[in-house]
This record gives sequence, C-alpha cells and structure tokens, in this order.
Amino acid sequence: MYVAAIDFGTLDVATLALPLSIGGLFGAALYLSGLADPDKIIGTLRLKDFHAMRTIAVFVLVGMAGTWVLGLTGQANLDVKPLTLLTVLAGGALLGLGFGMTGYCPGTGLACAAAGRFDALITVVGMFGGALVYLLIYPYVVPAMEGVADYGKARMPETFGVDAQWLVLGIVGVGTLLLWITKPRKKAADELAA
Amino acid sequence: MDGPKVRKAPVVWWAGGLLLGLTLVLAITVKKPLGVSTQFVVAESVAMREMGGKYAEFATNHPVIGDKKQATTQAAATQQAATTQVGKTVPNKKYGKLGYSFWLVVGMIGGAFLAAVFSGRWRLSVSTVWWAASGRGAFSRLLFGFVGGVLILLGARLAHGCTSGQLASGWAQLSLSAGPFTVALFAFGMLAARIFYPKVPEIER
Repeated sequence: MYVAAIDFGTLDVATLALPLSIGGLFGAALYLSGLADPDKIIGTLRLKDFHAMRTIAVFVLVGMAGTWVLGLTGQANLDVKPLTLLTVLAGGALLGLGFGMTGYCPGTGLACAAAGRFDALITVVGMFGGALVYLLIYPYVVPAMEGVADYGKARMPETFGVDAQWLVLGIVGVGTLLLWITKPRKKAADELAA
Repeated sequence: MDGPKVRKAPVVWWAGGLLLGLTLVLAITVKKPLGVSTQFVVAESVAMREMGGKYAEFATNHPVIGDKKQATTQAAATQQAATTQVGKTVPNKKYGKLGYSFWLVVGMIGGAFLAAVFSGRWRLSVSTVWWAASGRGAFSRLLFGFVGGVLILLGARLAHGCTSGQLASGWAQLSLSAGPFTVALFAFGMLAARIFYPKVPEIER
C-alpha cells in the first residue's frame, strides 16, 4: 500500500488543531455567506444579483483594514505574491473563464462538493487535471512568460508612493460609502406584508 | 417564470463578508494569508513521490515541486554554510510533504460540510438554477464543469493564486498583483457567464 507511506508531516493534535480550526471557520464562512453557491456567483457575474459582489467587497475591506491594524502592532505574517504581469493576466483570464463557466473557484468548489453538489466534485476533479497540466507545461512555458514584465513582490504603497494608511483609509472609506449608498432596500410590498 | 428560484444565502451580505474578513485576519495573525489552489499541486506532488518510479522522478526533478540542490558550485557552497555540499539535495519544503496549508484546506472542506448540514441545506444535486434556466441539462453541466475545473486551476497556478490567495489575501496585503488579477478575473468571468448563462432565473430577494 502506498497510502501507508505518505509523509503526512507532523501529525499531532497541537500541529493540526490550528489549521483545521481556521480552515473550518473559512469553509463555514464560505458556505454561510453564499460565496459557496454557484447560483450566487453567476448572478453577480451576470450583474443580476449583487449579493456575492457585496459579500466579496466586505470580505476584502475587512481583511484590508484588519491586516493594516495587525501591521501596526507587528503581528501580520504577510506573503506577498510576485507581480509577473503576463502570467497574472493570463492566469486571471483562464481562472475567470472557468469561474464564469462553473460558478466555482478552487476554495468554493471544494466547499460546494462537501455540501452535496456532485457537479462541484467533477469540477474539483478537473482542477486536479489543471494542476497536472500546469506541472507538465511549466518548464516549457512558464519561466519564459514570467520573465515578461516581472515587477517582483511589489506592494501598492511603495509602487504608488502613498503611505499604506492613506491607501487603506481611502479604499476602505470609499468602499464602505459605496456599499452604504447602494444598500439593498426592502420593497414597500415586503414592508406591508411584514 | 415557474422554474426553481435562486435561494437567498444563509446569512446577509455584510455578516458573511465580515465573517470571511475576520477569518482572513485571524489566519494572517496566526500564520499566513489564506490560499487554496497551491494545495492541489501539493497533493499531486506528494502522491507522485509515493507512487515511486518515473512519477517520483518527475516530481523530485521538477523545477517547481522538485527537491532543491543546495549548491551547484563549491564557491556557493562555502559561502552558505559548513554543512552545505555541492550537488546535495534537500527535500522541497513546500511541495515535498503535507503541511499547515494542506490541513487548512481539509478543515475548510469539513467546515463547509458542517455549515451545510446544520443550516439544513445539505442536498445532493448535479446542476444549478442558472444552468437549468438556460435549458441545459445535467450531463452538459458535468462536462463543462470538468473543463472549467481544468481552466480554474491552470489559471490559478499561472497567476500565483486564486480567489482566496490573489483576490482576498492579495488586496488585504496591498499586493500590486491583486489589481491586474482582479480585472482579468472579472472581465473574463463576466464574459463566460454571459455565454454560458443567457437566461436569467427568478431570484429570491
């Protein structure tokens, strides 16, 4: 049996409790928020149902504000990805096509499969295929593509010459204002019925 | 229209977003930002190593998931550390074993399962309301679901991250790459959604 020989890393409660519980929280949040619902994602991409878009916006704004506060106290463990413009654009486009076709992304695909969606399970199988394609084509394609317009692990504050606090304040402020102005209101009929 | 309706999400948009945002901040406090797509490659890398033979050879020699040579020249080896040897390989830290981020994804699957069960919404299904509204059946849903899955992960790895790693974690860290990634993701997402879902179903408000 190969399975018995798999290197599971360090398998003890102290090591596993943390990732399992943070992951558990993330999975539950994805499901409860409706992001792990392909109908909600497609509704947003078709600009007919703004629930998912508003949820993603709050997700990003809260994450940004919280991460900035963490940075002030020196507790933020950041992992900035490099901007290799060609692969980021090409990858974003391919991911976007799959996202718009299925209503799933890697995290929500797994979450939806766990929630009983068989089509999501098939998409997850496709994702394993996609990971394999990436590994197979990598040596021939990716290093050359990454060499085009490589800006390294750049962050917005240094690039734009604006302090992080003003960027965060600006984006969170404008974002919150926009969410507030466009807040969905109950129809008068609903109010009468209630 | 009398087809099935798109259901409301279990919680209101701001509460769901707040919960997700706080989870991301917690993850960054404890260890590192959230990310999912890398773990598909980690799982395959570990599986290939376990399968042995030509599979293990492919994995250990691969530029991304392979084991790293400590140093290629004697000069570089002397510069690094006393224990460093020319040509000696060290196991790939990120792709050689199942680590923290892998177990986070396992936890995520469990969390979604429990949330679906306890919200009373766990249900076996093969298609979606939007897909059915455009008159498409379950078989085509699975076929395009598979193709979409391939595109999703190939794209996510090319872009160094998916909707978790690049979009949410990227913006939270003010990564420059989050900007062009978001534009490409939504532009092509909206294009594909328009092609594949021409008819709009009834949506519960």
